Amino acid sequence: MTTTRKMWSTLCALAQLAGCAGNGDGLDASGRPVSADGGGGTLTPDLASIQANVFTPICTQCHVGANAPQGLRLDSANSYGALVGVASSEQPGLLRVKPGDAAASYLIQKLEGKAAVGARMPLGQPALPSATILVIRTWIASGASSGTLARTKTLAVQTVSVAATEVAMAMTQPVDASLVNATTVTLQRLDTPSGEPATVAARLAVSPVNDSLIVMTPHEALASGRYRLTLRGTGAAALADWNAAVIDGNGDGTPGGDYVQALAVGGAP
Amino acid sequence: MTTLRLLGGMAVIALSLAAATVRAEPYLAVQQGYKCIACHVNPTGGGLRNAFGNIFAQNVLAAHRIAAGDDSWTGAVNRFVTLGGNVRADWTRTDIPQQQQSNEFDVSDARVYLNVEAIPDRLSVYLDERFAPGSATNLEAYARYWTADKAWFIKAGRMYLPFGLRLEDDTAFTRTVPGINMTTPDTGVEVGWESTSWSAQLALSNGSAGGPETDSGKQITGQLVRVDPRWRLGLAASHNPSDAGDRAAYGLFGGLKTGPVAWLAEADLVVDEGFPEGSRDLVSALLEANWAVRRGHNLKLTAEWFDPDRDVDEDEQTRWSAVYEYSPIQFLQLRGGARLYDGIPQNDLQNRTKFFLEVHGFF
Repeated sequence: MTTTRKMWSTLCALAQLAGCAGNGDGLDASGRPVSADGGGGTLTPDLASIQANVFTPICTQCHVGANAPQGLRLDSANSYGALVGVASSEQPGLLRVKPGDAAASYLIQKLEGKAAVGARMPLGQPALPSATILVIRTWIASGASSGTLARTKTLAVQTVSVAATEVAMAMTQPVDASLVNATTVTLQRLDTPSGEPATVAARLAVSPVNDSLIVMTPHEALASGRYRLTLRGTGAAALADWNAAVIDGNGDGTPGGDYVQALAVGGAP
Repeated sequence: MTTLRLLGGMAVIALSLAAATVRAEPYLAVQQGYKCIACHVNPTGGGLRNAFGNIFAQNVLAAHRIAAGDDSWTGAVNRFVTLGGNVRADWTRTDIPQQQQSNEFDVSDARVYLNVEAIPDRLSVYLDERFAPGSATNLEAYARYWTADKAWFIKAGRMYLPFGLRLEDDTAFTRTVPGINMTTPDTGVEVGWESTSWSAQLALSNGSAGGPETDSGKQITGQLVRVDPRWRLGLAASHNPSDAGDRAAYGLFGGLKTGPVAWLAEADLVVDEGFPEGSRDLVSALLEANWAVRRGHNLKLTAEWFDPDRDVDEDEQTRWSAVYEYSPIQFLQLRGGARLYDGIPQNDLQNRTKFFLEVHGFF
C-alpha cells in the first residue's frame, strides 16, 4: 500500500500545483464568457440553438481548427458550410446533412451509432440524449436552414381524436417534445364511483413521424365514460413549441391558458 | 494562475522525471527501458507487434502462460508476412448529473495489422485495418524503407503522426487537445532516425486529420526522444497552416522508472487560430503512475488537466482515472476502472463519471 500512497500523493501534489477545475464564473455551458455570445438557451430545431447547445459545447472539443478530424470544423463560423449539402469524407455517397432527409444524413447516422464507418459520436463521450438527436433531426427534416426557426403561428390544439387505446392531439405546429409529460398533458376520468376525477395513467410521446402530433397511450384501455383532457398552458411547467412559446390553450390568440376538453368514450353521454 | 503554474510544474516534472516514447502502451517501454521499436514493427510504436513483442506478451506481460506445445506465436506467417490484431470489448456505464445513467456493451475496437517485408529488413508494406466499430476502415497504409544500417527510414502513405506519448486512451486530454492521435491518421511522408539512445521523426502531411485535402497548406510534425534505461524525455512540435487558421502544437513528454512504478508525463500547448473569435491558446497536461503490482498486474493512476483557453478564467477541466489491468494469460488483458471528470458546473458532460470493464484480446 505504501507504493499506492506514494503514487496518489504525487498525483495530488500535482493537482495542487495545477489547480482544480474552473468554477465557471461568468461562463456559459460552452465555457465561453457569457457576454461573448450569450448562453445556449433552450434547445430548438434551428442552427443557432443547435450550435450553442450541441456543436460548440460538445463537438468542438475535437472538431475545430486546422486539425479537426476529417476536416470537419463545427465551430459557429464553419459548421453550416461544412455540414449542409457536403459529402461525408468517410462515406462520400452520403451528405453530412441532406436537407429534408434526416435518416439519410451522415450526421444523424454518426450521432445514432448507425454509420457504416467509425465510432459513434461524440467520440469517447456518452451518446447524445435521444431528445437532442430528435431536435437535430427536426432541423434537418425542416430543411436545415442556416437561420433561426421562424415563428409562424401560435401553438394550439387543432383536433383531438379519442379511442379506447389512444388519444391523439394534433397541434398547429411542432411541439417541444421535452415538455410533453404527465404534468403538461393529463386525462382524468370524471364519472368515478367517488365522484372525484381520477387521473388516467398513460404513456405520452410526440409522434416520431409527425412532431406536431402528441400521442397518449393509456396503460389500460379506456373504459366507457366521461373524461377531461387538459393541456397545460399556465405556470412554470407549460406546454410550448420549439421557440419556447407557450400553448394558446384558451384560444384567445395569445400564448397562455390551459386547454380543457371534455371527451366521451364508448358512447358515454 | 493555474496555466503558468501548471506549465512550470509539468515542465519540471517532465524534465526531472524524464519522459517517454510514442506508443500504444508507453508505460511498458518505460518499465522495461525499451524503445518502441523493440516490440513493434512501427518505429514510432503502436500497432503490429514484432517477434520480440509477441514473446514479451507471452513470457513477461502475462501472469500465467498456458503451454502451447513447441509453438509460440510470433506474428510471423512466413519469412515475409507478419500478422497481428486487437479486439477490445467493453462494458461502460456513464453517470451524468441531471441525466439518466446509461450503460452499454460495445466493441470499441477491432483491427488487424499486416506487414509484408518485400525485402527483409529493408522494404515493407504495412496495413492497419479497423473492422469495428462500423465497417472496415483503413487507418494506416504505407510503404517503409530502411537504410542498410537500420539508422534511417522513410515511409510514405497514410499513418499516425509522431507527437507525444502514444497512449492507449485516445480520449486523454493530451491526445484530444493536440488533435494528433490514433483516430486521426494523415497522409504524407515521414523520415525517421534511430540510434541506441535517440529516436527522431519528421513528417510532412496534408494536415486534414484523415479528411480530404482542402487547401495548399501542409502539416509538419516532428519529435525527438532521448531514451535511457531508466528515463526518457521527448520534445514534439507540429505546425499546420490552413485556410481556416494556422494551428501549432508543442509538447514536452517523458517517463521515469522508480522501482515498480513507471511514471509518464506530458504537457502540451496548442495555439489555434481557427476559432471564430480568433486565436486561442489551449493547454493540456498528464501525469500517470503505473505500478507493476506483480507479474501480470498493473495499477494505473492518472491525473489530467485541460485549459481550453488561457485568456478565459475558471474554464479549466480535470480528469482523474484509476484503472486496473490484469493479464491472466498470454494475449489476454482484463481492464477495469473509473474516470472522474470535473469541469465547469454549467456543463453536465464535463462533470460525468465513467466506469468501464474491458476484455482485450490481441495477437
